[in-house]
Amino acid sequence: MELFKPDFGLVFWMFVAFAILFLLLWRKGWPAIMKMIDGRADLIDKGVEYAQQAKEQLDKAQESAEQIIADARRSQADILREAGVMKDQIVEQARQEARAAAQKEMESARVAIAQERKEAEKQFRDQVSAFALDIASKVTRRELADDKAQTQLVNNLLDEIEKTN
Amino acid sequence: MMAAPALRAQEGAVNDKSGDLEQAIADVATVDAITEGVENPEDVAATDTVADVAETKAEAEDKKDDDFNPKDIIFEHLGDGYGWEVPFNHHKRIPLPIIVWASDGLHVFSSSRVEHGAVYRDGDIDFTIAQDGDYKGKLVEIKPDGSVSRPWDISITKNVLAVFITVILVLLCVLPLGSWYKSNGYVAPRGFKGALEALYEFIYVSLIKATLKEQARRFAPYLLTVFMFIFVANLTGLVVVFPGGANLTGNIAVTLVLALITFLITNIFGTKHYWKEILWPDVPLWLKFPLPIMPVIEIFGMFTKPAALTVRLFANMMGGHIIVISLTLIIFIFAKMGVAAMSGATVVSMIFQIFMLLIDVLVSFIQAYVFTMLSTIFISLAQEHGHEEHKKADETQPQVTTTH
Repeated sequence: MELFKPDFGLVFWMFVAFAILFLLLWRKGWPAIMKMIDGRADLIDKGVEYAQQAKEQLDKAQESAEQIIADARRSQADILREAGVMKDQIVEQARQEARAAAQKEMESARVAIAQERKEAEKQFRDQVSAFALDIASKVTRRELADDKAQTQLVNNLLDEIEKTN
Repeated sequence: MMAAPALRAQEGAVNDKSGDLEQAIADVATVDAITEGVENPEDVAATDTVADVAETKAEAEDKKDDDFNPKDIIFEHLGDGYGWEVPFNHHKRIPLPIIVWASDGLHVFSSSRVEHGAVYRDGDIDFTIAQDGDYKGKLVEIKPDGSVSRPWDISITKNVLAVFITVILVLLCVLPLGSWYKSNGYVAPRGFKGALEALYEFIYVSLIKATLKEQARRFAPYLLTVFMFIFVANLTGLVVVFPGGANLTGNIAVTLVLALITFLITNIFGTKHYWKEILWPDVPLWLKFPLPIMPVIEIFGMFTKPAALTVRLFANMMGGHIIVISLTLIIFIFAKMGVAAMSGATVVSMIFQIFMLLIDVLVSFIQAYVFTMLSTIFISLAQEHGHEEHKKADETQPQVTTTH
């Protein structure tokens, strides 16, 4: 049967044509395509790896950011607490200082008042003694004209002193 | 007006079995000729008319002929031919160059000269296409004593032209992709080029690379070329009209060449281990000496591989073509039984043909893939390095390091 007998002419041309096709594609066609397929596969692999790394880094960054925020919160709370304590301390200190200052003021005021009083007493006493001397001198000047009256006065004064004592 | 050889050719084309019919036609023709001959005074013109009428009648009867031979039609369509059929015309063919090395040297002429069994005299030698005998359907040289011999024939036949067309189509499928990469870098092409790239990637990555590993780049150009050639040839074979319709991969010459190249590549690039496995395999001594039973089997196996490659692609593709042609012929077989039977047969046949052609599209891919896969496997089997060579490599490694 003809179908099972390879025809010489067809074998010849098939070989020639296929050889030309193969040589052309071997030199010009397939290398570029294979290079591209391999290269793109590498590129995609690298891209995937890079993306994974980037994601890992992002996760890490997020984690550290969260950590930082938590730390900040904690320190904020600490600072607030410390500030509270300090405030109390300052207020207390201020209060104490104020109290001390007030005490001091009062003390000095008391001293000053005592001084004033002393001075006032002294002044008063001086004035009283001056008045007394004045009165005495006046009285003495008028009364010494009359002996009887003099005696009377002395007696009266003596009585008075006696009564008071 | 057709000359006498044409009439002879016509008669030759009519099947031998329809001899009675031919006689009837001739009778009709004679009657016609007589009636027309009365009108035509010139005898020469009358004979020409006889020839003409006989021819047209014969043609008409040939088309209506119920006693047709499906086997001949199938094998005519499967086989090669000098000239390419055109649709809707049984007698005109696209002429193709005939190139033969006859007993006195090279002859080149158009296939239209020997159409329908005509004898053509080129130089001193008569050529014709044998109608029967050993060289049926082939161009033969008629010796002076009437015997025929076959010259060295490298004509551009239908299948050879189909090979060229396939080669051009494959080049058009591959080369533009390379230039695309040159101008576009890593950007993936879209559309048809993208589809081609996906196809190449599928074959290259999941078949060739997966099987040949680091040797892939070395053999991939051949394997990819084989794949594309078979795939394109299979698909164009399904297209009914020119430039398709040649049963290329269903021709044993084509598959034989492809399998032979695989065979050559397998054995030329075969490793030492591969040859050792063939000539001195790892089996008990009595299996290889003194009677070399295993080596003989292994050497036999070397040749069964390409034989299997040849036959399975050829048989698969030819089978697909036979089924589709047979389904078409069912219409003509049923045509004898009347219009209703023919209509029914036409509908059923068309449905089955479309179904079969769709399956053949799938088969086109599968067969190209399987041929490539088997070639890859055969080549990879010859690329194996045995355990001993690995061991040797391990042993030599420390020695090298100590000498340094």
